[in-house]
Amino acid sequence: PAIPEGVPNDSRTNKDGVLVDEFGLPQIPAT
Amino acid sequence: MTHWFHRNPLKATAPVSFSFYGVASSTGANKICNDLKASRARLLELFTDVTCNADMMKNATDAYFSLLQGFINSLDGTTQENKLRFIQNFKWTDTLQGNSTSAQQDAVFELASMGFNVALWFTKFSSRLAGKEDITESEAKDVHRSLKTAAGIFKNVKEIQVPRLITPAEKGRDLEARVIDTYIVQCQAEAQEVTIARAIELKHNASLIAALAFETANFYHKADHTLTSLEPEYTTKWRKYLQLKQCFYMAYAYCFHGQTLLGSDKCGEAIRSLQEAEKFYNKAEGLCKEYQQTKGPGSTAKPSEQLFFRKLGASVRNTLEKCQRENGFIYFQKVPPEAPQLELKANYGLVEPVPFELPALSSQWTPEVYATFDLTKGPKDDKAKAKPEEEVKPMKEPDIKPQKDTGCLIS
Repeated sequence: PAIPEGVPNDSRTNKDGVLVDEFGLPQIPAT
Repeated sequence: MTHWFHRNPLKATAPVSFSFYGVASSTGANKICNDLKASRARLLELFTDVTCNADMMKNATDAYFSLLQGFINSLDGTTQENKLRFIQNFKWTDTLQGNSTSAQQDAVFELASMGFNVALWFTKFSSRLAGKEDITESEAKDVHRSLKTAAGIFKNVKEIQVPRLITPAEKGRDLEARVIDTYIVQCQAEAQEVTIARAIELKHNASLIAALAFETANFYHKADHTLTSLEPEYTTKWRKYLQLKQCFYMAYAYCFHGQTLLGSDKCGEAIRSLQEAEKFYNKAEGLCKEYQQTKGPGSTAKPSEQLFFRKLGASVRNTLEKCQRENGFIYFQKVPPEAPQLELKANYGLVEPVPFELPALSSQWTPEVYATFDLTKGPKDDKAKAKPEEEVKPMKEPDIKPQKDTGCLIS
């Protein structure tokens, strides 16, 4: 079977197109 | 303790037998009645089972609701009301009213009340998980998801189920808009608390944390404000919680806003922001004490003694000292008399309820089986209605203190 590319709901993009995690925080911290 | 959340007691309910002698005139109809009784009892049992997890709760809820909908949805292809909707009386207590009960002979009332309790269970489940020391990332996700799920169920009850009731809920009862609204906003705010903790842990930008903390404080303010027109005797303790959390997150917002100002070399303004954080922190501490001393429904706790609370106090003090030190050595800026206005909008971490959908109708319900429920064959003297009502036994919850002033036995 094909390896899933990611865990469902684990990350998504917000309205500004920024990749965010399940908590809605940017994937890469700014600091 | 990583997080601490106030919780009101679960709703208690009278047992329902779903015994419709004469009315349920086929094997299929009788099986539905027996399964309804068993699935309801199972769901009630899980509410106080500490080993129950979110999947178990969802399965038990689906099992009961998929059957119960056969008493509500139109099953004979007409637009007419389901003939079984008003056949059974249901009795429920309310989270703020001790042992006093509300009763309605309406399956929609049962759906709304049971849905409300499922949502409450999700809030309690998340509270148990969040209260652990050193919560893992996976557990934090469960807490976050459970609170969003709970908010979604409350929202569904308010927007879809309650408007279908023939008898509107009385003031201060669970199905009344002010009470449900408060629960929805509280769930959103608490989920955001988890996000704030994660943002701090991952060292996200101070301005992001300040904005989310400020919005969370506003959520708590909104929740508290929603309860203002209800009776203080049953809302005061809950309101103290909402107020102390509002002050606590205002302190957070000013603390992290101060760090942002310091990062832009505005040291004088940063000091003023930190002083404001200290002011809100002290106010929150006072409210914690008032919360402890207030009688009323809800869990017992000494929030100001918990680690999550003391940690913020230390953070505010350390950041203020750092700012004052740097101002004395480097900046020499004047500290403004007025606190900075927080006009922060969070772009990240705001929580929306997860939409709740009822399960599909059980396959046991067919138009043929529905037709075998014959209301004309019911007891002529309306015995079921006249029968003396059984007393509603409170749920046994380990974290809930008895409500002394009403004699409620929930503990």
